[in-house]
Amino acid sequence: MRQEIFEVLEPGLGATLQDRGRAGWRRFGVPPGGAMDEHSALWANRLLENAPEAPVVEFLLQGAKLRVLRDAWVAVTGADAAANVPTWRPVRMKQGEALEFPKRRSGVWIYLAVDGGLEGQRWLGSASVFARGQLGRPLVGGDVLCRAGSAHFELPSGVAGRVVGWRERRDYESPPRLRVGRGPQWDFFTDADRDLFFAGEWTVSSQSDRTGYRLTGKPLKPAEAQIVSEPVLVGSIQIPANGQPVVTMRDGPTVGGYPKLGLVDAADVSWLAQCRPGLTVRFQWVD
Amino acid sequence: MTLTWIPYGPHALLFRFAERVGEEALARQRGLVAELERNPPAGLVEFVPAFTTILLEFDPKILPDPKQAAEGLRRRFKAVARAKLPAAPAREIPLRYDGEDLEALAKAKQMSVQEVCELHCAPVYKVYMLGFSPGFPYLGDLDPRLHTPRLASPRPKVQAGSVAIGGEHTGIYTVDSPGGWNIIAHTPLKIFDPARGEPNGPERAMFLLQPGDRVKFVRLD
Repeated sequence: MRQEIFEVLEPGLGATLQDRGRAGWRRFGVPPGGAMDEHSALWANRLLENAPEAPVVEFLLQGAKLRVLRDAWVAVTGADAAANVPTWRPVRMKQGEALEFPKRRSGVWIYLAVDGGLEGQRWLGSASVFARGQLGRPLVGGDVLCRAGSAHFELPSGVAGRVVGWRERRDYESPPRLRVGRGPQWDFFTDADRDLFFAGEWTVSSQSDRTGYRLTGKPLKPAEAQIVSEPVLVGSIQIPANGQPVVTMRDGPTVGGYPKLGLVDAADVSWLAQCRPGLTVRFQWVD
Repeated sequence: MTLTWIPYGPHALLFRFAERVGEEALARQRGLVAELERNPPAGLVEFVPAFTTILLEFDPKILPDPKQAAEGLRRRFKAVARAKLPAAPAREIPLRYDGEDLEALAKAKQMSVQEVCELHCAPVYKVYMLGFSPGFPYLGDLDPRLHTPRLASPRPKVQAGSVAIGGEHTGIYTVDSPGGWNIIAHTPLKIFDPARGEPNGPERAMFLLQPGDRVKFVRLD
């Protein structure tokens, strides 16, 4: 039965429904999409014993505010935006209460899951909103979020709480060296340039979004500035003519003509996603 | 005949089936796509055909190391014949030559606007691939006299329906998006429209054009 759980009062800087994304449509120009930080999104569902593919809300930074329309178990993970409820654990919210994220402290993307999973319209096999591609739209004030399945979560009797271990709760202000493997145009770069990339410090630019994360640092120089456009995977480190890397993220173009030096390990794409503009990241070669 | 592969991350292979962009490469691409649709290799999650390359992505639970399957696939692909491109009549795309960059492009080419329009409108184009944004068709073969580099600085917003020239190709923006191609015309036709998908039709119907399709521009003015 359809149950209304939240009303969006303020969407904040950006809020969309996301799941694990869509497969099979890249050849039509539709990127995979899905939660930018899959690690946190999966934990939000897992805390409530939801299916991993249940839609969650992804909030960008701070500012969102929601009202609870019906008592429900919820879980908030991801970026720390001074939520008014404990995070990384199931929380029982009561009708009439507010859930808010007033101030960003660390990280970029916040995830909200609801016991039973959120309802979301599906396009091309996924509820992930891809706003630029007109597959759904960001949440706006007045939108109502509904539970898709039935409530099933209960804390086992005698258990006061359940919480994600500290090891899984990342300090987004100090990312580890992100693991990178060889990209299709690895050979376009000299040893010196590759060394520069792996030894260098790269600052996340404010021109970063669900499409791609731009990095600034000492510029690299590929042997050729353009290649015949070819398929691009999420996590690809593209080096355009200005030598400043762009890492393709989940809503990024499906094909591209810039040489690709490397590919960020899939698990570390989630890490990178939570690196705020201005933060410095470093990379580590893995083969 | 070119047919090589490289790994692209741990779960994908990138095959190169041609050295040069063109009709020959397109026929080979369509042959490979038909083969993959008829006879998908075990664990294939999706494939992405492009001008001279095709990406195959695998499910690590079914195929943990695609590199081990690569040589077998290469031999199989090598035996695949070029596909005959559909002889179906070209899809007509109505358009008006009223693009923001039309005059500047004509000036750079030392042609009149009229000449640019005639050269652009004359051929029957082929869809070489879809990419960049949903359903965006990369159309060849553009008259070499109209080949134009992308803008030095991409526009933050290009309107859906803008017909543009980028390098050796012409294409049609399918959604409002940033873009660096030279805009010469606009079409009222929706090349990509989510409303044509479910429940109104099959999901593929969202995409008006498919690789291999032929396209003819028809002037409205």
